[in-house]
Amino acid sequence: MEKKERTIDIIKQERKVSAEVLEERKIYSRNRKAIMEVLKEGPKTIPQVAAETKLSLPDTTYFMMVLFKFGDIVVESLDDMDEYYFYELKKK
Amino acid sequence: MTDNQNAAATCLDETRFDVMVIGAGIAGAESALKLGDMGYKVLLVEKEPSIGGKMILLSKVFPTLDCAACITTPKVSETARHPNITIHTLTEVETIHRNGDRHFSVQLKKKPRYVVEKDCTGCQECEAVCPVITKDQFQFNLTARKAVYIPFNIANPRIALIDIDNCMLCGACEKACPSGCIDFTQKEQQLQITAKSIIVATGFKLFDPISIERYGYGRYKNVITSMQMERELAPTRPFNNVLRPSDGKIPDKIAYVFCTGSRDHTVGNPICSQVCCMYSTKQAQLLMGALPMADISLYYINIRAFGKGYNEFYLQAKDMGANYVKGKIGKITEKENGNLILRFEDIATGKVTEREHDLVVLSVGLLANPAIVKAFKDEKLELDAINYVQQPNMLQSPAQTSIEGVFVAGTATGPMDIPDTIMSAGAAATETSSYLTRLS
Repeated sequence: MEKKERTIDIIKQERKVSAEVLEERKIYSRNRKAIMEVLKEGPKTIPQVAAETKLSLPDTTYFMMVLFKFGDIVVESLDDMDEYYFYELKKK
Repeated sequence: MTDNQNAAATCLDETRFDVMVIGAGIAGAESALKLGDMGYKVLLVEKEPSIGGKMILLSKVFPTLDCAACITTPKVSETARHPNITIHTLTEVETIHRNGDRHFSVQLKKKPRYVVEKDCTGCQECEAVCPVITKDQFQFNLTARKAVYIPFNIANPRIALIDIDNCMLCGACEKACPSGCIDFTQKEQQLQITAKSIIVATGFKLFDPISIERYGYGRYKNVITSMQMERELAPTRPFNNVLRPSDGKIPDKIAYVFCTGSRDHTVGNPICSQVCCMYSTKQAQLLMGALPMADISLYYINIRAFGKGYNEFYLQAKDMGANYVKGKIGKITEKENGNLILRFEDIATGKVTEREHDLVVLSVGLLANPAIVKAFKDEKLELDAINYVQQPNMLQSPAQTSIEGVFVAGTATGPMDIPDTIMSAGAAATETSSYLTRLS
């Protein structure tokens, strides 16, 4: 099969990546790593993850829902008060 | 010339149409289908990457509680496969000139997808390797999407696209794509077409409640819009269940604030949005199904349940336990735990009362979407006092506009529900067909 030219190299000559995009990427990577690290210990609720990662509750919710959407974490069960779900790392 | 440019060049040969339909929501798709079935050659122009408009994003519809996607997707699929219908997504109408008595000349701007449409299989391998996340506008910012993405699960066409403004230009998607369809060399295209008639089906805009400061939308995480709740309830929802955005808690006490940005002169929208009472009632019923222990309170000015089966639907919600409270919310304040205090005058007792809820849904109104007016260069597409497309002959010929040969369908004429939208689209197709017959 003929090797196709990578078109990304062409657009790189015309466009630059914005600082905001790079910053957002950094924040996502950092928060993803922190959440995944905490969840290695076992299933946890969003407030428990927030307390351990020191992230704000809304940020923890947002990033955990992103990890849930992209299949990094799964729902385990509900807590005793039926208020919060426990999330755990997806077994791969 | 790339494959996509070749494909576009082929499209360029297809420049003569009987009808151009602007907007591929449910009204535009219905009009296009009806006219396509009659044998007319139709061009359907949509600025978003998928057809289906707002209806394809809904959970269920009132008053039957049918799954919205189950109604929309067959129609959308039929539109996409119809031999008489050509679809341009990611395309905007730039200018419309009258070209003699029988044609309109139209200039279209087609944005690059950076993906060769005919080669993409929708496998999402590109999405899996993309390192970027950004707010997902199709989930109303409740979650994120990648920079290369398929808009939502039931998008049509189910083809990836690249959000170039949020792309890191790492090239991972191009490397991972099994069919080699990523093409960063694509450019914006200008297309020139002619059409004998036009249907404006540009729909509506949702009211942005950020402008009503006393409700705290944008500041309080647990104040969400009805469209965000719609997504939380949908099968393709962003979370695993209905959850509070502030902390992922399952809400116990949910409040609806009716008439947010409608029937309100102070925000410039004095009219009733016609659908807010009923979609809130529908969501209340769905919430009582999803969260059987939750209390649902709906704060209203008047209930407008005017359609067939609507009043019965409202009574059904009451019978199920929905608590309708007559009184408009004056102010919302947030407690430290994220709960919200609603202050209002209870019309039944005449007393100013405060109640605590842990999630508030603002039943936002509908606004006109008049941007298309600027595209008409030789004649003026008249609007009414609140910026919807004017119907000069509303009783006898509701699809007529101020321009001969230009017709209007659906919520471009004013707020309406789905059955009325479908009827309006049918009327527009019939009047267009009648006009084309006279023209020939």
